[in-house]
Amino acid sequence: MAIKRRGFLAGVGAGAGMAAVGPFFHVRPARADKGELVVVSWGGDYDDALRELVGEPYAKATGIKVKFDTPPENAKVKAMVEAKNVSWDILLTDIPAVLSLAKDKLLEPLDYGALDKKLVEAIPAGLRHPYAVGQRIYAFNIVYNTKAFPKGKHPTTWADVWDAKKFPGGRTFNFRGGIAPQLEIALIADGVAMDKVYPLDVERAWKSMDRLKPIVSKWYVSHAEAIQLIAAGEAVVGCTIGSRATSARKAGGAVDVDYNQGKVSPDNWCLVKDSANKKVALDFINFALDPKRQAEVSKRVPYGPSNKDAFAHLTPAEAADLNTAPDNIKKQFWWDVAWWGTPGADGKTERDRQAERYAQWMVKG
Amino acid sequence: MRYWRSREALLVLPALAVYALLYLYPLSRLGVWSVFDPEPTLKNYRQLIADPVYAKALLNTLEVSFWVTVCALGLGYPLAYLMTTVSARARVWLMALIMVPFWTSILVRSFAWVVILGTNGIVNKTLIVLGLIEAPVRLLYNLIGVEIGMVHVLLPFMIFPLYGVMTQIDPALLRAGRSLGAPPWRAFVHIFLPLSLPGVAAGCVLVFLMAVGFYITPALLGGPQQITLATLIEMQVSDMLNWGFGATLSVLLVGAVATLFVIFTAALGLDRLTGTGKA
Amino acid sequence: MPSARLPRIVLWLFCGLVIVFLVAPILVIVIASFNGTPFLQFPPASWSLRWYVRFFASERWYEAALLSLRVAVVVTIASTALGTLAAIGLVRGRTRFRAALELFLVSPMVVPVIVMAVGLYFLLAPLRLTGSAAALVLGHTIVATPIVIVIVAAALRLSDGSLELAARSLGATWWRTVRYVTVPQVAPAIGAAAAFAFLTSFDEVVLAVFLGGPDATTLPKRMWESMRFEIDPTLTAISTLLTVVATVILAAAQLARRAEERS
Repeated sequence: MAIKRRGFLAGVGAGAGMAAVGPFFHVRPARADKGELVVVSWGGDYDDALRELVGEPYAKATGIKVKFDTPPENAKVKAMVEAKNVSWDILLTDIPAVLSLAKDKLLEPLDYGALDKKLVEAIPAGLRHPYAVGQRIYAFNIVYNTKAFPKGKHPTTWADVWDAKKFPGGRTFNFRGGIAPQLEIALIADGVAMDKVYPLDVERAWKSMDRLKPIVSKWYVSHAEAIQLIAAGEAVVGCTIGSRATSARKAGGAVDVDYNQGKVSPDNWCLVKDSANKKVALDFINFALDPKRQAEVSKRVPYGPSNKDAFAHLTPAEAADLNTAPDNIKKQFWWDVAWWGTPGADGKTERDRQAERYAQWMVKG
Repeated sequence: MRYWRSREALLVLPALAVYALLYLYPLSRLGVWSVFDPEPTLKNYRQLIADPVYAKALLNTLEVSFWVTVCALGLGYPLAYLMTTVSARARVWLMALIMVPFWTSILVRSFAWVVILGTNGIVNKTLIVLGLIEAPVRLLYNLIGVEIGMVHVLLPFMIFPLYGVMTQIDPALLRAGRSLGAPPWRAFVHIFLPLSLPGVAAGCVLVFLMAVGFYITPALLGGPQQITLATLIEMQVSDMLNWGFGATLSVLLVGAVATLFVIFTAALGLDRLTGTGKA
Repeated sequence: MPSARLPRIVLWLFCGLVIVFLVAPILVIVIASFNGTPFLQFPPASWSLRWYVRFFASERWYEAALLSLRVAVVVTIASTALGTLAAIGLVRGRTRFRAALELFLVSPMVVPVIVMAVGLYFLLAPLRLTGSAAALVLGHTIVATPIVIVIVAAALRLSDGSLELAARSLGATWWRTVRYVTVPQVAPAIGAAAAFAFLTSFDEVVLAVFLGGPDATTLPKRMWESMRFEIDPTLTAISTLLTVVATVILAAAQLARRAEERS
């Protein structure tokens, strides 16, 4: 009996082993020949919208297969380039990541000449970085719980968010996840005018951060977490991506966003160094920047389009929910790439220095 | 006799070969990065010593892991013991219940913890209704939160080694003890407990080592005081692309744990405790 | 005799509380998975099965689950075999370096996975293995093996070597002794170790991101990608399904074994 069972188990084991190992060890063909493109983004709703509204139409129009992968992890890009094993072509990622990657020479400079001139002109100059071009706009905004503060009685400035007497309850701010500390916002809370924050008075900003620290109930790790915390009332107000609050509000969550004094920044298309499909990749970016297509994507997931012409394809009601709508964008300011991204004498950028300081500031308690 | 035993030692070789290829070789590359940039340099190690933050993070890590191990042992030992005394059917259900936490992704689980432990959560509301507390107690985003979250994940890693060892304890020994007039608790303390120590050692080692490497749970459920070294390593490697320094911090972490191990083995005679000393 | 039963009652009570602690968060998630609103909420505002429908309707979710399962099965076989042999070698073998060897063999548990991931990437890239299930198997095996070693070695330390001595003195070769005497002695521990190896692979996300790719996306990687910006409630349905399926399989396997042993 025992032996029989053992034989049976061995058989099952071997069978399972064969079935599982069988298709694993295929040699990967060189992709460039296969006419396919790998696009890498951070996932979520927006990713689904991209697949459906940009990836699929592009494949249909050109016959080139578009594959999506996640996430555009900096370290993986570096590993790929250094190991000469580049399997990603296009990244959709934020400016801090672009700065890190560009500094280590892991991106191809973007050939704006290869893009449609009319498209390029419709994209604000601030969104045209040598290595990256803006696609969707996100912003760090005041996001609050609507049960704790009904609309109209909610915190409307960063100074309000810093003021736990006037607006009692926990706060939530970001830590990690590649995001720089919110020094501009700390300065604005301390009374600096929105258009006068750059160049940053770093010491004053950190002093302001010191005042924020005791009222933060949770330093969040992912944006999903921030919205959940605010919706559940675990924090009553925080600094996170306003577009997520709009989506959550539409889905019935007790959260809303105030655009006032928001920090606006793009997620960008960029090309991985030594990608085998540079030409096709640029063509795809061109396709994705099309105003009508961007409008469609923004209707699905409420991030601002980078192309100004996209608003021609949106109703006023649809536009009102987007951070780049004319009424909203004028209340906000743009993240300054030059201040954060220019390497100093030691080869480190402000982003490197402040991110390091952020960790130390946090751990010291 | 000796010959036979050294033959068995050969059984380590397949694992060693795999480790050499998949572990030692890749990691030695990283170790090299910690001292080359690209010229030989000790700047990474200087940075490590110059900034007390890393020592603080290491202490955080060890503190969190220590308490996780203690709590897991306290909760796990009775449960493992219970499993050895119940019917086969009850044991199956106990095992299934112990494994239940595994099947849930960690971010989703952290949502559940907010529902249960948050300031408006089930526990706080219940305690207030019962009149035990007046204002909500903070159970999340501090050491308590991290402990709860990590013990929840790691408890099975304590229970199963314990159970595995306890099932091998001959019940006849306990019966013999009792028939010689020892009351049940004495038989337990003097016979069962010492015999179960290899399981305790294995469970504690497993839980402690796994806890040291954790970084997602401390980040999700802890506060600034629970930032672990693994979190900082992840930041250096993934956000800052500073692999040399990330590797240096890893050397510190592995070195510290190995040192602790050696000290404990020497001080407590862990070798004898776990029976490795048996000739 | 109430005095004799009291400790037993206390034990059950205590263990009951521990089980409540283990199960409570999952209970919350199970309930939340029947929520009708497109937003994670507890208690649910309305009831529906939409997240279950969404899981079964999506090929991407389904394929990811299948890949995770296949990878985990191979990892379980490989790491259980390697780890069990190594544990026997460590405990029953005689070598001068036993303590150092053991420390080395369990040390991968301490190294942050992101560091391992970068190292492995450079090993596997020249072999053109990155982005494949094979890479995931190799990576997960090195993470799972130490766990197997610790669990099996603990059990071996308790079982005495006298049976093996007897087998040897009756003329069994050393390998047959290992195969038919040592291994069966610690079979339950090997079973537990295999279960943990499976779960380690099935849950792992960092290596999955680094060594996987568009054609090799595991369930945890797929879950993380839908979690950076919002928690997709589909995840609660998946957690519920996994819990139910795993519990049923575990219970069925155990009961079947009991039945077989009785017959």
